[in-house]
Amino acid sequence: MRSGSETVAKAFGLVALAAFVVAFPSLASDPFVLSVGVVIVSYAVLATAWNFVGGFTGYISLGHAAYSGLGGYATGLLILRAEVNPWLALLLGGLVVAALAVPVGIAALRVRGASFVIVSIALVLVLLLVFQSWESVTGGSDGLRVPRPFGPEVLRPEQHQRFFYLHAVLLAVMLLCWWAIDRSRFGMGLKGIREDEDKARSLGVPTVRYKLAAFVISAFFTALGGGLYALWFGFLDPIFQFSILVGSNMVLMSLLGGVRSLFGPLVGAVVVGYATEFFKAQYGDTQMHLVAMGVLLAVVVLFLPDGVIPAVRGLVARLRPEQASIREVTQEELAEEVRR
Amino acid sequence: MAADLLELVDVEAGYGRAALVLRGLTVRVPPASVVCLVGPNGAGKSTVLKVASGLLAPRAGRIVLDGRDVTGRGPQQLLTAGLSHVLQGHSVFREMTVGENVLLGAYTVRDKATVAERVDFVRTLFPVVGERWDALAGALSGGQQKQVEFARSLMVSPRVVLLDEPSMGLDPKATATVFEQIVRMRDAGTAVLLVEQNARRALEVADLGCVLDLGRVHISGPAGDLLSDPRLGELYLGRAGDRKSVEPTDL
Repeated sequence: MRSGSETVAKAFGLVALAAFVVAFPSLASDPFVLSVGVVIVSYAVLATAWNFVGGFTGYISLGHAAYSGLGGYATGLLILRAEVNPWLALLLGGLVVAALAVPVGIAALRVRGASFVIVSIALVLVLLLVFQSWESVTGGSDGLRVPRPFGPEVLRPEQHQRFFYLHAVLLAVMLLCWWAIDRSRFGMGLKGIREDEDKARSLGVPTVRYKLAAFVISAFFTALGGGLYALWFGFLDPIFQFSILVGSNMVLMSLLGGVRSLFGPLVGAVVVGYATEFFKAQYGDTQMHLVAMGVLLAVVVLFLPDGVIPAVRGLVARLRPEQASIREVTQEELAEEVRR
Repeated sequence: MAADLLELVDVEAGYGRAALVLRGLTVRVPPASVVCLVGPNGAGKSTVLKVASGLLAPRAGRIVLDGRDVTGRGPQQLLTAGLSHVLQGHSVFREMTVGENVLLGAYTVRDKATVAERVDFVRTLFPVVGERWDALAGALSGGQQKQVEFARSLMVSPRVVLLDEPSMGLDPKATATVFEQIVRMRDAGTAVLLVEQNARRALEVADLGCVLDLGRVHISGPAGDLLSDPRLGELYLGRAGDRKSVEPTDL
């Protein structure tokens, strides 16, 4: 059973987090800081979306940029070619990508481990080639300019503020869904798959259907994240949209924070997002920020294999009064048992 | 006498294209009894359980559960039909809580009231399950993990539970607890087909025993009789010289 003080601490933390998110645009000293805030919350959306499949099933997809990129392009193309309302285009884009994720998931989820990683990377590389080559529709290597949903009277700082809140709302919805799944029968089956897929199947968990459902939910939210980013940034270039680095960042952020924790990807996104922007500001257009990310990944693997949140939890548990020992028998009792 | 609940009749089975592991083996498990399979390494004991639970398809022979031929059915179908398999070693989901582990055992049961009833039942039968309900299963001792596995296997109200080396890696006290729990499962009406290296201890709690060697049942009968049979030592401890000289018999 959870202790009352733990529940109070969690509730307090949640209220403090919500208050900070609401106040952040007012606290930001200039539009650049606000734009960094939008980038970080956008990372948090993508990492949390990735965690629906990575965290629940243990299937590591390095190619999730495929779904954020498709979401961005679907939103942009629906606005430009079909003149759909931007917000409706965003939602339709997410649904289109979710529908596309069904056959992709059926094929990709037949393999596990390293093979699944390779399949996920292959998809993003294929999409990069398609979107670079199909110039008449996608704009090719020249990119695609996505019209902003707010009129010209809404100035840049206010755009940032609105998109910060929009991303935050999307993130809150995703966290709520993750939390609900985590406590459901479906979530229990998914966690069984993560621990041992064959064992879960032998207990009656419909592993194929469950994996696919988690994959499609993840693709849907990732596409919404990509679409919202497209509406904010206003320009899509295939080389950045379908980049393995984007997918790797989702994995890095989730692993850093803790894939088994609700807020793990969010914590990871804050650390990685802030570090990226810091190193970019320090070293300009060099590739030093990529080196820093590599070092960060090495630190995670070596010192925080389960992520920041589990590490902090472990530290708190160590500071608590001694928990009951799991030892069922003392050395003396054991010796006595053997003598008998 | 009641009809046998589980029967493996003239079963032949093996892995891939390799030679047969089971060569015409027949084992019968009556209701609410403990049947123990003992024998040297490589005799095919664990393979018997894999065939019975549908993890390995037999190449010949029949598997009959409660009078119905279930040969060729998969693990999920057999689980639903009332047959539960606790694998060798520790097979708990280590990063999930004890509660989640136990509830996963009832994944095929839709009725919430039935699940709640089964939870109460296994918590009574295995007190550690209730005491450590919210703890991570991986944080439990080996003996406690084994009890969680037993509890999980009983969540579907199985008629037969297959236990593969339940005392493996446990200290003497935990081993004693495990065997006590097996007797309690039997007393609660569940038939148990037990594979165990600790032959003496297993035969002490079993009703019937079968000594396996080279994929066949060489000796079978009441467990108490087997304990005093000198051929058990000959086969099991490899003192027979020529194994073929020990004729398969029914006591």
